Amino acid sequence: MSYTPSSGRRTNYSSRSMEEYFSMDDILATEVRIPCRFQLPVYKLGSLNPSSQSPDLLPGTKLELPLWLAQALQSRHIVNVELPKSYRETYREILSADATMVDLHDLGPYFYHIGLYLLNFPYADTEEISKMLTQTFKNRFRKVMDASQHTLQEETSSWTFRLDMLEVELFNIGQKAFLEFQEWQARKMEKICTSGMVINHKKRKRAAMDNIV
Amino acid sequence: MELGVGIMSPAEVEFLAEKELVTIFPNFSHGKIYLISGDVGPFVPSLPVQVPLWLAVNLKQRQKCRLLPLDWMNKDVLEEKKQEEYNNKFFTAMPSPHYREITQLLMSIAPMDIPHAEDIQTLIKDIWDIRMAKLRSSIDAFIKGEETHAKLDHLTLMEINTVRPLLTNTLNKLYQLRQVSSFGTSESQEW
Repeated sequence: MSYTPSSGRRTNYSSRSMEEYFSMDDILATEVRIPCRFQLPVYKLGSLNPSSQSPDLLPGTKLELPLWLAQALQSRHIVNVELPKSYRETYREILSADATMVDLHDLGPYFYHIGLYLLNFPYADTEEISKMLTQTFKNRFRKVMDASQHTLQEETSSWTFRLDMLEVELFNIGQKAFLEFQEWQARKMEKICTSGMVINHKKRKRAAMDNIV
Repeated sequence: MELGVGIMSPAEVEFLAEKELVTIFPNFSHGKIYLISGDVGPFVPSLPVQVPLWLAVNLKQRQKCRLLPLDWMNKDVLEEKKQEEYNNKFFTAMPSPHYREITQLLMSIAPMDIPHAEDIQTLIKDIWDIRMAKLRSSIDAFIKGEETHAKLDHLTLMEINTVRPLLTNTLNKLYQLRQVSSFGTSESQEW
């Protein structure tokens, strides 16, 4: 999951790098719907708007479009992208008050990822959003780090359910190092254990045998 | 981002620690052994000889030697060290760069050769916990303060190893957030 515009030339945000093209996180993140207002009439697509009977989409219609579509339409000046609720000033104030208490999974779950995309749209408060993103990340980092360094495998979900996907990724990285250390401390790595594939294979075989009998 | 590349496992850190020298009293006689890392021996019964830790572990497991505890594996020294670590804001120098691994290894194979083995193990764990807490606070301060570099003296390899993947990946993400942010703002002004 990464968003890296090449710094030299002015990147067109509708063309994404190959790395992002294949990134599952990027695909999932750009599925999120954001509010858009149509600037031009779109003929024969009135069925997209369930609240009107007209066969065409008229200028001024408000629809929620997936981010990937909104980007493409915005660059052709067909729609005007509006700021999603969770990035507006009210939420920014909540996040600046105490970012650690906010359930970012609820607001996101790709809060940072989408936030970075939104920076490319010509909003008036782009600067505040970008500041808010880095500040929120920094303020929440301590919690993610501490949790990842003392959470055992079984308790993982109780920590990650309130985290953004980016934070979950970092949490898993930190936890992996911690669990490896725990294993080393318990001298578990000296033993060679059966691989999961073999165990499951036997089970499947047994199940197949039972069916025959 | 691909994980698992360039990350050391604790077992690899332990492998490096096994190069440290310890003193043993063999109960057999044998001539010098010529190894790539240096010559070891000769072994004369009950005469102290310095060997790498891995050899000591091997001999001990076969009951061919008795271990001389390292100077710092001493209750008083470690109590003092713990107090010093606790009082000091920064990291203090550890008696050995591999204190955690060596303690772990010796405790598992030769607890009888070390007086107060249990207490020493507890003390080492306490020191480790104090240091890890310090490390986490300094990482947090580092991230919050937008610093570009940090200097942490006397950190040991195992300590660095537990936070390395998290820290480097976090800094990567932060860099991305910040870079795109500055990029985004400058572009919106051009609009």
